[in-house]
Amino acid sequence: MKIILSYSTINIMQEDPVSITSILDKLTINPSDVIVSRNGKLVPEDTLISGDDEIRIIRIAHGG
Amino acid sequence: MSNGNPANGGAERCTLCAEPPVIRLREPDRHLCAAHLIADVEERAALMIRERELIKPHDRIAVAFSGGKDSTALLVCLTRLLPAWEDVSLVAITVDEGIAGYRDDTIRAAEEVTKKLRIEHVCISFTDLIGDDLDTLLIGRETQACSVCGILRRKALSVAAHKAGATRIATGHNLDDEAQSVLMNTLRGDLSRLVRTSDADSHDCFIPRIKPLAGISEKEIAAYLFVQDMFPFLPECPYTRHAMRLEVRTMLSAMEQKHPGTMRNLIKSKRAIEKHVNWRAVSEPLRRCRQCGDPCSGELCQVCTLRKSLGK
Repeated sequence: MKIILSYSTINIMQEDPVSITSILDKLTINPSDVIVSRNGKLVPEDTLISGDDEIRIIRIAHGG
Repeated sequence: MSNGNPANGGAERCTLCAEPPVIRLREPDRHLCAAHLIADVEERAALMIRERELIKPHDRIAVAFSGGKDSTALLVCLTRLLPAWEDVSLVAITVDEGIAGYRDDTIRAAEEVTKKLRIEHVCISFTDLIGDDLDTLLIGRETQACSVCGILRRKALSVAAHKAGATRIATGHNLDDEAQSVLMNTLRGDLSRLVRTSDADSHDCFIPRIKPLAGISEKEIAAYLFVQDMFPFLPECPYTRHAMRLEVRTMLSAMEQKHPGTMRNLIKSKRAIEKHVNWRAVSEPLRRCRQCGDPCSGELCQVCTLRKSLGK
């Protein structure tokens, strides 16, 4: 699967389904600070992802 | 109640319908689809406006509109809610501070949104206001960026709102911003700011400020825009790293994740303190600035004090 962060892309070989929460945890990202899309659609962090999913992690705070 | 599947911790559908969820909210614990998230955000904003009487018939509301996500959500939300109030009009005001590599993109985004929503849009710049852009004003004093910018932004907004004939100024402050302010004022020991409500004691001197999104979290606001293809992918303000708010935001966000309800509880504490403290007793009485005549608490208002220190 492909994980897209603001300025970088990480490819993860992951056969078994894994929750977005655990991916965020591994990347030390607080789920409160981001929204996450799977294949372009917004999903909750407890969603399971696997295979060819493309995950985009979008930071939400940028100052007015 | 959440319909999370205990086998995987997730949810296959919205708590309120059969559609796929886009967000999990934890107070109370529920999963919402795009349509129910939009409805939930707008209902809560409408409730805040009604309960606190933030808008009255015939108001002209100046929306402080940076083009970022919070003010975009506010503008979208108000555009949909305002037909419920008699003869209320909107004008979006964008302040161009003059921050290279940041503000040009947000102003472009602001112009696109106001055009799409057919909202009157005016811009005012720091150069119009004080003769220089923020980048120039901050040379050698970058660590004061947020305080200098805040003072001038408030003034610019007020000048533009008066010129536009506004009776209220609406800002996109969200639940996270409000909780951060409570904690920052507490950490600074600033009781006066802690208990001062946005429009306290200000009706005679200032245009009252309203915050219709103050009960909605930053994450809900981001999701609200994303599902409507309106989330602005914009750069971060380059001066944010200097702000104490960034430290407080990181700390509070971690607390909220670990202990859901932390931010709401902080605001509840502030409201409880407000009830027992006489704002006038802990604040300097309002006077007029001897330089410009604007209302202020000292001899000089913050803008004139800043002008003096900048040699302007």
